[in-house]
Amino acid sequence: MKTNKILNISNDLRWQIGDGFHDKLTEGIYSDAAQIAQNSVFKKGATKHFRFDRVLDKIVTSKIWGFPIMILILSVVLWLTIIGANYPSGLLSQLLLDTIHPWLKETTISIGFPIWLAGFLFDGVYLALAWVIAVMLPPMAIFFPLFTLLEDFGYLPRAAFNLDNLFKKSGAHGKQALTMSMGFGCNAAGVVATRIIDSPRERLIAIITNNFSLCNGRWPTQILIASIFIGAMVPKGFAGALSTLSVITIALLGVFFTFAVSYFLSKTLLKGEVSSFTLELPPYRPPVFWKTIYTSLIDRTLIVLWRACVFAAPAGAVIWLIANISIGNITIAHWMIEHLNGFGFLIGLNGVILLAYIVAIPANEIVIPTILMLTVMSVSISGVGEGNGVMFELESATATGEILRAGGWTLLTAVNLMLFSLLHNPCSTTIYTIYKETKSVKWTVIASVLPLIIGFVVCFIVAQVWRILV
Amino acid sequence: MQTVTKSACDSCEYSNTSGLKKLGINTDDTDFVVALAGNPNTGKSTVFNALTGLRQHTGNWPGKTVTRAEGGYSFNEKKYKLVDLPGTYSLLSTSQDEEVARSFILFGKPDVTVIVVDASRLERNLNLVLQILEITNKAVLCLNLMDEAKRMEIEIDDRTLARDLGIPVIPTSARSKVGIQELISTIHKVATGEIICKPHRIKNVPKQINNAIEKLCVEIEKEYPNIPNSRWIALRLLDGDERIIEAVKTGEFITE
Amino acid sequence: MASPITYLLVFTAVIILLVVLFYPKGGIYWRLKNSFKNDSKTLIEDILKKLYHAEDGGNSLSTNDIISSTNIRPKKIIETIAQMEANQLINFNNGTIKLTENGMDYALRIIRVHRLWEKYLSEKTGFDKKDWHDIAEKMEHKLNTKQAKELATNLGNPRFDPHGDPIPTEFGEIEAIQGKPMPVFKEGTIGRIVHIEDEPDIIYQQILAEDLHIGSHVHIVENNEKRIVFHSEGEEYVLAPIVANNITILQLLKDEILEENTFRLSSLKENESAKIIGISNECRGEMRRRLLDLGFVLNTTIELDLISPMNNPRSYLVRNTAIAIRNEQAKFILIEKIKNHANSN
Ligand SMILES: Nc1nc2c(ncn2[C@@H]2O[C@H](COP(=O)(O)OP(=O)(O)O)[C@@H](O)[C@H]2O)c(=O)[nH]1
Ligand SMILES: [Mg+2]
Repeated sequence: MKTNKILNISNDLRWQIGDGFHDKLTEGIYSDAAQIAQNSVFKKGATKHFRFDRVLDKIVTSKIWGFPIMILILSVVLWLTIIGANYPSGLLSQLLLDTIHPWLKETTISIGFPIWLAGFLFDGVYLALAWVIAVMLPPMAIFFPLFTLLEDFGYLPRAAFNLDNLFKKSGAHGKQALTMSMGFGCNAAGVVATRIIDSPRERLIAIITNNFSLCNGRWPTQILIASIFIGAMVPKGFAGALSTLSVITIALLGVFFTFAVSYFLSKTLLKGEVSSFTLELPPYRPPVFWKTIYTSLIDRTLIVLWRACVFAAPAGAVIWLIANISIGNITIAHWMIEHLNGFGFLIGLNGVILLAYIVAIPANEIVIPTILMLTVMSVSISGVGEGNGVMFELESATATGEILRAGGWTLLTAVNLMLFSLLHNPCSTTIYTIYKETKSVKWTVIASVLPLIIGFVVCFIVAQVWRILV
Repeated sequence: MQTVTKSACDSCEYSNTSGLKKLGINTDDTDFVVALAGNPNTGKSTVFNALTGLRQHTGNWPGKTVTRAEGGYSFNEKKYKLVDLPGTYSLLSTSQDEEVARSFILFGKPDVTVIVVDASRLERNLNLVLQILEITNKAVLCLNLMDEAKRMEIEIDDRTLARDLGIPVIPTSARSKVGIQELISTIHKVATGEIICKPHRIKNVPKQINNAIEKLCVEIEKEYPNIPNSRWIALRLLDGDERIIEAVKTGEFITE
Repeated sequence: MASPITYLLVFTAVIILLVVLFYPKGGIYWRLKNSFKNDSKTLIEDILKKLYHAEDGGNSLSTNDIISSTNIRPKKIIETIAQMEANQLINFNNGTIKLTENGMDYALRIIRVHRLWEKYLSEKTGFDKKDWHDIAEKMEHKLNTKQAKELATNLGNPRFDPHGDPIPTEFGEIEAIQGKPMPVFKEGTIGRIVHIEDEPDIIYQQILAEDLHIGSHVHIVENNEKRIVFHSEGEEYVLAPIVANNITILQLLKDEILEENTFRLSSLKENESAKIIGISNECRGEMRRRLLDLGFVLNTTIELDLISPMNNPRSYLVRNTAIAIRNEQAKFILIEKIKNHANSN
């Protein structure tokens, strides 16, 4: 073979040249580049604009202002998202859940759909979809554009620069700070965003730990449960503050786990992966406002929403089916709840919650409606709810609390639910995204199972210690 | 020396937009394939969007485009397929994230490679430009971010640059669509052979390495006579690039 | 239902059991796995290596020396040595063991794989320096000659491993290490570090902690029985002679001596500018390529741009672009400070 001859000669030559081929070649290219640039580039000295960049950089990376500015910006973004999403979310759910849903059901039944089919289609599939859209769309449509604006302006690399030292200590990359913040919006988007991390090991770490960022789908759960159970422990005036504090604690706990798990992974499973760190700080550029908003809506919000819908629709069907199909004389849901109750008790939760987390893998948004439906069903509370397999939410938190207490919930259940909502497997959209990004079954499985195990262990310990002390 | 301004070509034939039709993602039976390469964050996606009318995500953040995006446009009755490659600093590296760009430029055989560079950081960008010019002899340099360079009071003599590099150089400010017309017609001319490039080849290579390269080139050309970039392949073989070694075994880069 | 205390106790017991079984390296599971692996082939190869290193250092070993240097059962070692003699890998010479030509070839083959593998780990993976030896120690028994050849080709037939040890060729040729241990040299000597021995582990860890790099130039300023003091790349180091003994130095000729003005980039201060004069050999693989690609090449002028709030990383202006790297990496980049730099702020 002649080609072998080429390869043999190249091997010989490589040996003769020895190490340093790449170095010398790069030096050569750069000196060509320098010559060419010298011929055609004329610089009239540093200008004011250049100075402006420098001054801004000095401030946003300064010892005194660096961190406060970062925390301020993140808080403002999260606050705008949570507050700003309230109104459109309410509007959407009124439209999709309270108006269109009954109308769809009535119309189809009146034109002769069998009741079970209308139930399956509209109480199951449609309702899950509507729920996901109503809860998910508004916060994402606010969060992502805001984030993208920051990104386009050029602030984000500076944040990575500031935080890198913290991340380095746990074997991770400074840019993980950004994928983590992105995860506060949506873990699937956070996982996609890890593409900016160019070092293979650090990228895997960022992917696997992204789930520890409390995402938009989970904030409402935290806020609701905290205000029902934790806020209720103290006099009215302090309730709001305490429940807010407890939600923030959970989010910070997530950050803690991000670091701990990153450290663990970099010392064990990911030890041998290649690692290299460089971070370019691009010049600031004023973003093109409307275009940025547009592309971020298309690129991030709608794509993530679409994926969530694809997964939520079958989940809705499953939820409806298990609540309506009976084997023997109990429904599948009843049967599963009974069997899960033992383990649920062990980790301070109950069968209903575990079942809800199993069927609601596609989207954390539908966990609370599913829990309510299953609770009402399993303890046969009459007068509330919409019937078997129909997810619902109540206007008032107090009423929700009454149902849950009737379902046997205690303060421990609430605390553990908050913990478990933080520490469990990623939603199926995220799992799918992880697979697409890593193209590896192994890492996908690890990323899915690891947080679940941590969740079980943490809830278990909390439950036992609680029972001993209280 | 000529100062480059937006008006450089206002009156000439290029400013006639009637020849341009944006085809979005419709890239069926194209006549020419055009690759967009360059360092990260130099405005490749912005150029891509300006040409195709698509809205690829752009961002002020190195490493934004990670998979390649494709789109199309037609100009003077020819259909062009445009491929927006992920940004790279170099083609010499073996890192995974630069694989897409590396392979496409060498094995995808684009008819024209448009190299988008940041005019305010020309010297650094030239590292990649010089490497690409080793691979292909149909290239256009898109000197983007001219507005930023101007703001920093950097002036660039694009004629000298074009002469030194041996390829056409088009100053642009892609975000405000300045220079896009000239870019389009220059791509057309290079694609159709109206402009013949004589790309610069890397000169400052140490003697020992140069000798080795020449020796190897002879062997490669013996086996694959019509290959345009034997020098590049020699370089990569000497660097132990496994992908290229594999390609030498299978003869991948000569099959048309 | 059992009481919560019982649950907690059971849980703790399970965790302790898992830790005892699977604790990295020390865990029972790993030990069992190792003891199975420690078959006679591995043992033969390990003994061959010991003999080679001893002969290379001008010493010779007896059966007892070998027994006392490992924690494997003496009976097993005696059996193995007998087997090795039968296979003509070794022969006895007044109570000491000598390698035969066959034995020598075999030993070199093992050493070749070991050093190639260390080279591979340093270039193509992210394993830490201190882990290389142990991993290579396992791999050396696994690769056959053909695989070793493929590995060598992939790595470009390297001549030295990352510690500066020569890698034997396929045909068992081996270059001699040039240079001598550091304590041999007189005060005032200027030399280059060509080799850092990675065994025994305790001393190697101390050298690693000092952050010395192969290829660095050193200037010995004090050398006595208590300590050796030398300057390298703008820093001062103080080592005990026993530690310094594991560092090999090659004395430099006059024209090879760089200016004393060599520093590490990590020591560059604000408003100073400098010229890059090289990247240390200790910066390898992907990391090295990245830095080169980004323009950290010979003769480039460089300035400190920004310092992050926690001091690390720092960003540098290279060819008009701000690039942040960590101080650990900046240590590998050698610079020469440019004097009289006008204050640009
Ligand atoms: N001022 C200015 N900004 C530009 C120009 N072209 C692109 N940009 C901005 O540069 C940034 C990077 O652009 P992008 O197209 O994503 O670069 P890519 O990484 O090479 O694809 C974006 O913020 C663009 O808005 C230009 O001509 N002038
Ligand atoms: Mg892009």
